Amino acid sequence: MLARISRLIGLTLFVSSSLMSVPALAQTDFSGMWGQRYYEDQEERAPGGELGDYTGLPLNDAARLRADSWDASLYGIAEWQCRPHSALYMWRSVHPVRIWNELEPITGEIIAIHANFQDLLERVVYLDGRPHPPEEAPHTWTGFSTGKWEGDMLSVNTTHLKEYIIRRDGVPVSDRTTMTEHWMRHGDYLTIVQVVTDPVYLTEPFIQSTDFVLDTHLQFVPELCEIEEETDHPHGWVPHRLPGTAHDSEDFAKKHNLPVEAAKGGAETMYPDYRAKLKVKP
Amino acid sequence: MCEPREGLWRFDMKRIWFVAAMVVGVSQTVSVPLLAHHSFAATYFEDKTQTIEGDLIQFQFRNPHSYVHLEAPDENGQMQRWAVEWGSGMQLSTQGLSATALKAGDHVVITGSPGRNPDDHRLRMKSITRPKDGFKWNGTFS
Repeated sequence: MLARISRLIGLTLFVSSSLMSVPALAQTDFSGMWGQRYYEDQEERAPGGELGDYTGLPLNDAARLRADSWDASLYGIAEWQCRPHSALYMWRSVHPVRIWNELEPITGEIIAIHANFQDLLERVVYLDGRPHPPEEAPHTWTGFSTGKWEGDMLSVNTTHLKEYIIRRDGVPVSDRTTMTEHWMRHGDYLTIVQVVTDPVYLTEPFIQSTDFVLDTHLQFVPELCEIEEETDHPHGWVPHRLPGTAHDSEDFAKKHNLPVEAAKGGAETMYPDYRAKLKVKP
Repeated sequence: MCEPREGLWRFDMKRIWFVAAMVVGVSQTVSVPLLAHHSFAATYFEDKTQTIEGDLIQFQFRNPHSYVHLEAPDENGQMQRWAVEWGSGMQLSTQGLSATALKAGDHVVITGSPGRNPDDHRLRMKSITRPKDGFKWNGTFS
């Protein structure tokens, strides 16, 4: 009798331990080195987009005015030369990304995912259920990100970003911007879909997707930034273009034979029925 | 427990401050691992080409982009200090160039895309030649 009870307990423990070793959730492993894959976004991600190209952006008049007045020479002044892209733009940069999991040491549960962009910016996506900081907490280039699994997809919510640009021709996004990302892996391909919301400069959420491919041979090469005087200007000079003086911001429209109004973006211009509206305009 | 003698303690504090100052100093001089990559099309008239010829003042072989500074006349014949943007130190290294490829005083001829802001007196490098020894580079960079 005692032997039968012992065998039963042993069997129960074996079955229990076997079941416990099965992962609770079918989470995707994003860890690895991911290289850029350029498609229609090559021009924006590598050399940078053209001045005055606001197509596909649901920006408002305030954003348009700031972008038209923006001067790319800002990146030549000492304070700007080594600024990183913020987390919302980093996916669109020329840099690869290394992703790894941070595990809880006892349970092995993923408590955070790190995304490092060539040692220029390292993001942490917390998965341990912690809340976002209060509104008055400092804003940073990485922002503060928390994630949750939706099946195989990781959805990331980011707040506390610094003011930055959403395109490298100066279209701004404010420090009230929030971003939802959906990380999806299909085999060796990683797709990041970003949904950017900004109550200050965007009238609708801005949505874009960016692709990467797993590259087991890829290694980061240090690309350290050094601050130097790049152009010869008096101390304190700030590059700027006064509103109404930046006529080359219409060059993009002329070059691509687009109506200037269409190139200047806005939510209305993003949808197919806008073409019909353009045809009836004088 | 034995307390450190006052003199020794002062000496230790000095050492600590010295080490702290060194750490801060070194961290100030070590390159900052951050950069933002500006748009070339937003910075330069990429469909235009300008040629300048003059004497090299400084060659900044660095990241995020190298710069060649030279003194050369503008289109009105007035001498200007020009800043010519080139590839990152990392990119140029892969093409066999180094920080000693160019020296102050070298007479060079440079063609490039002119900057959108004329006050900058800047170009994006398309080619550079040094007639003295036939050094030549042309190409593109990101």
